[in-house]
Amino acid sequence: MQTVFSVGTDALAYGMVLFVISIGLSVTMGLMRVVNLAHGAFAMIGGYSASYAAQTLGFGYAVAILIAVVGTILIAIPVERLLYRRIYGAPELTQVLMTIGITFCVIGIANYVFGPTLKTIPVPETLRGPVDLGFRSIAAHKLFAIACGVVVAGGLWFLIEKTAFGVKLRASVDNAAMAASLGVRTKIVYAVSFAVAVGLAAFGGIVGAELLPIEPYYALRYMVTFLVVVSVGGAGSIPGALLACLVLGAIDTTGRYLLPEYGEFFFYLAVIAIVCTFPRGLLGRKK
Amino acid sequence: MAAIETTSPTAKAATAPNWLLRDLAGLAVILIVAAIGFLLFPNNLALLTRITAIALLVLSLDLVTGYCGIATLGHAALFGAGAYAAGIAAAHFDINDPIAMVAIGALGGAVAGLVSGAVILRGHGLAQLVLSIAVVHLFHEIANKASEWTGGSDGLSGISPDPVFGVFEFDLWGHTAYGFGIALLVIVFMLLRLLVRSPFGMLCRGIKEDPIRVSAMGASVQGTLLRMYVISGAVAGIGGALNAISTQVVGLDSLSFTTSAESLVMLVLGGTGSLFGALIGTVSFMVFKDFVSAVNPFHWLTIVGALLIAVVLFAPKGLYGTAAQLLNRSRRQ
Amino acid sequence: MKKILLTAVAAVALCGSAYADTIKIGVVGPFSGPFAIQGKNFKAGIDAYMALNGSKVGDDDIQIVYRDVPQADPAQSKALAQELVVKEGVQYLAGFYFTPDAMAVTPLLKQANVPLVVMNAATSAIVTKSPLVVRTSFTTWQTSAPMAKVAKERGVKKVITVVSDYGPGVDAETAFKTTFAAEGGEVVDSIRMPLSTNDFSPIMQRVKDSGADAVFAFLPSGPTTLGFVKAYNDNGLKNAGVQFLAPGDLTQESDLPALGASAEGLLTTFHYAVSHDSAENKKFVEAAEKAIGTPAELSFPSVGAYDGMHVIYKMIEATGGKQDAQKAVDAVKGMAWESPRGPVSIDAESRHITQNIYLREVAKADDGTYYNKEIATFENQTDPGLAAAK
Repeated sequence: MQTVFSVGTDALAYGMVLFVISIGLSVTMGLMRVVNLAHGAFAMIGGYSASYAAQTLGFGYAVAILIAVVGTILIAIPVERLLYRRIYGAPELTQVLMTIGITFCVIGIANYVFGPTLKTIPVPETLRGPVDLGFRSIAAHKLFAIACGVVVAGGLWFLIEKTAFGVKLRASVDNAAMAASLGVRTKIVYAVSFAVAVGLAAFGGIVGAELLPIEPYYALRYMVTFLVVVSVGGAGSIPGALLACLVLGAIDTTGRYLLPEYGEFFFYLAVIAIVCTFPRGLLGRKK
Repeated sequence: MAAIETTSPTAKAATAPNWLLRDLAGLAVILIVAAIGFLLFPNNLALLTRITAIALLVLSLDLVTGYCGIATLGHAALFGAGAYAAGIAAAHFDINDPIAMVAIGALGGAVAGLVSGAVILRGHGLAQLVLSIAVVHLFHEIANKASEWTGGSDGLSGISPDPVFGVFEFDLWGHTAYGFGIALLVIVFMLLRLLVRSPFGMLCRGIKEDPIRVSAMGASVQGTLLRMYVISGAVAGIGGALNAISTQVVGLDSLSFTTSAESLVMLVLGGTGSLFGALIGTVSFMVFKDFVSAVNPFHWLTIVGALLIAVVLFAPKGLYGTAAQLLNRSRRQ
Repeated sequence: MKKILLTAVAAVALCGSAYADTIKIGVVGPFSGPFAIQGKNFKAGIDAYMALNGSKVGDDDIQIVYRDVPQADPAQSKALAQELVVKEGVQYLAGFYFTPDAMAVTPLLKQANVPLVVMNAATSAIVTKSPLVVRTSFTTWQTSAPMAKVAKERGVKKVITVVSDYGPGVDAETAFKTTFAAEGGEVVDSIRMPLSTNDFSPIMQRVKDSGADAVFAFLPSGPTTLGFVKAYNDNGLKNAGVQFLAPGDLTQESDLPALGASAEGLLTTFHYAVSHDSAENKKFVEAAEKAIGTPAELSFPSVGAYDGMHVIYKMIEATGGKQDAQKAVDAVKGMAWESPRGPVSIDAESRHITQNIYLREVAKADDGTYYNKEIATFENQTDPGLAAAK
């Protein structure tokens, strides 16, 4: 019984880390309909900025996160204006080509500027070390990641479903021409959502750095994981992504506990089963 | 398009030689480019052979992505299956005749096509993409696990193909491998030209445009696509077998996600939905990559990335698609 | 088209003029992509050697031609090696981080009349594939087997092995299990985990459940190692007194800044530590740090490359700059010298390097950084993997 609880806790923590990192991609793919394979690249930029701010400039953890998220968004604004704006509404394969190109560039530049070694973001004393849960101990930063996941999920849900901006965004996505003629400035709506998605990517990259460490190849290494999470959850659905992360986290963690040798089979067969049963994702929006 | 409409009375008589002419022109272009490659880079035939093998993979990807509209990031599964089938036949069963190895590779690819097609065709759009990723990872993991047969991550070695027709030996300079590869490419290319123009090929295009209408006409959408997937698998398998024969080693990378993604990049770079686009994409990407990575082995990735971005900005239909469009426009004026 | 022609003409012209008295060495390694740090170390080792010993042997200029294979890709590796031999006219092939890449090249060597000096790839069997292969790095067997003796000496009774599920991982597992069983120890469980594992907590749970006194691990360096070592700490295994044993790949110096305090006290066995205390090493580290730019990035592949260059220079001396692969290889058989890692020699029969293997513990230096501190030496170790394979 204790083992079940213990593995369950690991699954929850891993799932929430996945959620924080992938949710931004769900926004770009589901709401803005851009297959953004460069999502991991933005997460990586966030991680590098935070590491630089904390280690070289000596800022505290919270300040470093803030600097990194803002910095990544600032980097992303010209990228959005010059490159992404050209591929909104373009065929998916064109988007794939462009965003892979961006990913290659970011990897190359990161390798050149920061070198090929691993970078860490020093977490504050309170998040270091294990916390005793009674039946087991768990790393404090994992609890922090779980908390971040809950806050991000709630905040996003509120933003999209309950605010005027969310209404405009959903209107622009469903019918851009109609929304524009009703006075929604779709370009700005898109730019802002893009900034939000990038900010989330950066935030996820930092919070998840303890599990998925920052290095130049980060942008490609975890691309598949992000894509799988978004499609299993249903692109654009916040609750869907949350559910997908918990389910996938549980499958992955149990698989690796029970049969580590066949962990890969376990995971991908489950993905095939889920995607075949729910082609739009667990909680995907109908077209 | 406009040209055909104005000549409607004689269109039937004129179109038949027209396509034949284009096929022959295409054939001539391939042979000329192959010959130029041979003359210009006589010391780099290994690269040219590798390009030929990858060209077969990209052609095969074009069949499903360009002609049927199936999005896949897992096409290397078919390529690798062909490579391993040919390699295992040579290393474990002593089947060393290169032509037999190619046939076994094609068969292996076709079987892999059947299996992965059966899974991938169950989804659409993003779901399809993810299914294809899952499939290629499963293939990769199976090859890794079956290390008795595949050599696992150390690679399958011990492949030593016999001379072609018992005469032409595979040598250090790669003359035989290159000639063999180009011969395979030409044969496959001509067959595929016939295929995409056949009623079956037209049906596939029809499905890409409007699957509901095709199924209303009484044709089986899934069945047709699955058949195309098997054909595509055979083509990719031939590419894989060529790779196994010319390098005499098969590694896990031949069925990796990276190879799949790269082949998709090459296809989109050249232009989907045209066999010429697939060839041009492969050649330009591989040659460009080889050139920049030789000039600067440390930081070439940035330049390749910049190339891809530039193509999307300035040639959104791919190199061949955009060139054909420009040519058409200038002709009409 | 015109441009291509021009480039080709220019290339031919360049080759023509540069040919006289220049001996080219083709180096294949991962210079970009996820293993770029290892390729960078190859280059640092080579640069250091040439900085200390000059870029000339006799009257001949030495020129290095680098080619990039970012991930294990035997087909690409073979195509590049062929290009290096045929087009660039290299007389020596060197480098090779991954086993399949080196394996793919071995069939070429005889026809090309070119020796291959392996500077890293660590599967025992490579040297058996061609009589023209010499290796100056190590094998996973060579570095893993002594750890079993250490475990026995330290009174460890029950061990669980945890390795990544790929060639080197399986090698390490077999090496440890075989040696530990011969020493009379017990391996209670062996786990092979997929290379793509990100979260190691469930694995640590398995380790805990197994009741072993120590865990023997092997993973590729980089992000997976970091995740694994952190999980070992976070899940309380360190505090519970479960010992961590591994070959030195896991605590390579370029990963230590990221591992930080969580690596303190880990025990590893390996052939080289940057901290190795000798005059030879001091000289090497100084030159290599200068070559690599960022001293913290320096780790073991650089020493394999440095000694590889030493072997190649000896080969060139012995052949007088003429291309004769067999004579070159024969000339270094049995050769012994003082490497930055300690005394080494090339075994005449296997053409693999015989060297000391050191037991090291990750310790904190006075300036707050972490390093591998050598605490015991196993002298003159040959490769037990070859014997086991026979």
